[in-house]
Amino acid sequence: MTDVAGICPECAHPVAGEDAFCENCGAQLIENAVAAPTRAAAEPTVAAGTEACRECGGIVADDGFCSVCGKRAPSARDHWQETPAAWVGGVCDRGIVHAHNEDAMALAALADRSLAVLVVCDGVTSAPDSDRAALAAARIACSTLSGSSLPMSDGVAATVSHWSTAITRACLDANAAAVGVARSLGNPREPPSCTFVAAVLDGDVVTLGWCGDSRAYWLPDEGVAVQLMLDHSLGTEMIQGGMTQAEAEADSTFHTITRWLGADSVDSRPELASMQLHVAGWLLVCSDGLWNYASPAVALQSLVREQMTAGRTAPVEIADVLVRFANEQGGHDNITAVLARYEPSLR
Amino acid sequence: MAEFKAEVFQNEYLADGATDAHAVVSVSCSGAGKAGASGEAAEIIIIDTSGSMDMPPTKIAAARRAAGVAVGEIVDGTWFAIVSGHSVAQMVYPQHAGMAKMTDVTRREALTAVERVRSGGATAIGSWIQAATELFSQVSAAQRHAILLTDGKIEGEPPGALAQALVAARGKFQCDCRGIGADWVVDELREISTALMGTVDIVAKPEDLEADFEAMMQAAMSRGVADARLRIWTPQGSEVLFVRQVAPTVKDLTSTGVQTAPLVREFPTGAWSDESRDYHVAVRVPVAGIGNERLAARVELVVNDEVQAKSLVKAVWTTDTDLTTRIDPAVAHYTGQVKLADTIQKGLAAKAAGDDRTATVLLGEAAKLAHDSGNESTTRLLEKVVDVVDLETGTVRLKREVHKTDEMALDTRSTKTTRIRRDP
Repeated sequence: MTDVAGICPECAHPVAGEDAFCENCGAQLIENAVAAPTRAAAEPTVAAGTEACRECGGIVADDGFCSVCGKRAPSARDHWQETPAAWVGGVCDRGIVHAHNEDAMALAALADRSLAVLVVCDGVTSAPDSDRAALAAARIACSTLSGSSLPMSDGVAATVSHWSTAITRACLDANAAAVGVARSLGNPREPPSCTFVAAVLDGDVVTLGWCGDSRAYWLPDEGVAVQLMLDHSLGTEMIQGGMTQAEAEADSTFHTITRWLGADSVDSRPELASMQLHVAGWLLVCSDGLWNYASPAVALQSLVREQMTAGRTAPVEIADVLVRFANEQGGHDNITAVLARYEPSLR
Repeated sequence: MAEFKAEVFQNEYLADGATDAHAVVSVSCSGAGKAGASGEAAEIIIIDTSGSMDMPPTKIAAARRAAGVAVGEIVDGTWFAIVSGHSVAQMVYPQHAGMAKMTDVTRREALTAVERVRSGGATAIGSWIQAATELFSQVSAAQRHAILLTDGKIEGEPPGALAQALVAARGKFQCDCRGIGADWVVDELREISTALMGTVDIVAKPEDLEADFEAMMQAAMSRGVADARLRIWTPQGSEVLFVRQVAPTVKDLTSTGVQTAPLVREFPTGAWSDESRDYHVAVRVPVAGIGNERLAARVELVVNDEVQAKSLVKAVWTTDTDLTTRIDPAVAHYTGQVKLADTIQKGLAAKAAGDDRTATVLLGEAAKLAHDSGNESTTRLLEKVVDVVDLETGTVRLKREVHKTDEMALDTRSTKTTRIRRDP
């Protein structure tokens, strides 16, 4: 593990916060890299290549292959984890079938559990270079949110209002970053684009905004788990039009998103939602690479519960299990799982 | 300082459920220097002096001249000895059972000693090999090489003596074998050259022997890297199907591998000059799911336990049949060349056993393979044994009158491969 501020959006090489250019490929970093979160107690860390093989635990040789089973160790862009604070963690993974990891995440959190910012963007596979758009969008949004001021007053309504505004601004910044990537590529006909979901956990209030089908769930230890938002997708429209979930999922256009970020976005304003938390549980933000295999909130809740029963309590550890779960189911898409632990008694 | 380069040619894409990874690893060496560059070198020249070498006497005369020319090529400072082989191995130079250091003085003495070689007695190659092994053990040279010349088949020692001698000699020195005339047995010399990592060839006419010995010793003296090994790592649960040298000649190395670590085997490749050799490595790996990428083999060229060059053989599972159905041209070419050598040897064996039908089919197949792969030297050798009727279908007729030496030349040189043309 190397303590770094981020990874280069061009080549995924770890870069330090003060770097203006990537040491590996020379790409300019100012436009896309995140400024160090001003309020986060710990800077996000990125795995710069794991030493133990994820498959068999063998030592990874210098040439990037496991010395026991031969599996290629993923690059920093293909697999990384972030733990901005002990109670917040996420894993972003290429999955199995896709050649590139077009998912991205950016996290920030305060050590005292008062604030967490979770952003996930899922690059649109059909548009080339969407991995870059997704990473740039996620990082700028997280930077905007973690750098913004705190709500002026304490009430739930004031908190939601404050963060709704901040998330809307962050989403516009993220869209601008995705458009910037397209511009830097000479405005291709299929501009790189991505989904967007950002959740801010401020005290016991969750505020979120999204474009597309990357999701946020509330998974309490006890009680009813809920999906906090509805996808912007043809699938949602089918269900709203009267189809059952199963019928809609069987349709090939179920996953077609109707809102996204990027140069060809038709509507890049986020839809907003919020929730006040009362009991201990997990805030999960994830890409469809995970929820494809466990769409109902209750399914994800039981997966997370099993991990707690097994003695896993670190969010990044549980996120890793969720990613492994999706890979075991086939890993047909990139997978991102981000978790923040909420415990009312600890506040 | 010698420098090695390794390059891999393969199609790494495997279909769902496929397990076998094939690759050609091309290793080249430059800056090898002269023999003795990496520690001392030692040379032994073994001349058959059995009674038959006098029939006709031009053979023993040619052998004396050839040995003299070879001595002339040995560079100063090299340990050397000349052995006369008949029913037993007898020292020609030095006179005691040991090796001498090459100097102007010893070279002169050795040339005089070679002139005194006379023939008489039987052919007992096992005892000659045994003597060479003992001589080499007396010097601490890192690089040990012998030239063995014979004109007959083994009859002066019990069967099994050669095999026994080879077990003791394996890894102690390399040996290039030459058969003169038509009365020696290709399989016997091939057994020696295979076990002792050398070449085997026929010298049909005594007058060609000098030039052949000169070239052989020049080649030996140009090998400045005493001993290199191919170190091959393969993943847990995998199986090395085979490791073959496929250029410049075919040599199956599979059984010569020595396990040096849990997943690592090392294959001796002997001494190197400025040259390049190609190896075909085939590994059966545990199947992995679609989208997985694994290392199927890590192939390294190792000298004195130091890695000089490395290449990676990979396996990537995909459902894309456009990718998985392609066969790498180098792998395909050398698979064909190995089949060519095998078909020729089987064809000649069938012919020797009187099975003309099988021989005709196999040698026809060989003619087609040789032609299709552009192996002109093998095509020429085949044309001395068969009349080609149709190359497209591989139809041939066995020649009525064949020189035995032409058949033997085809047999010994069947393992010589052509290199694949590579796009620049």
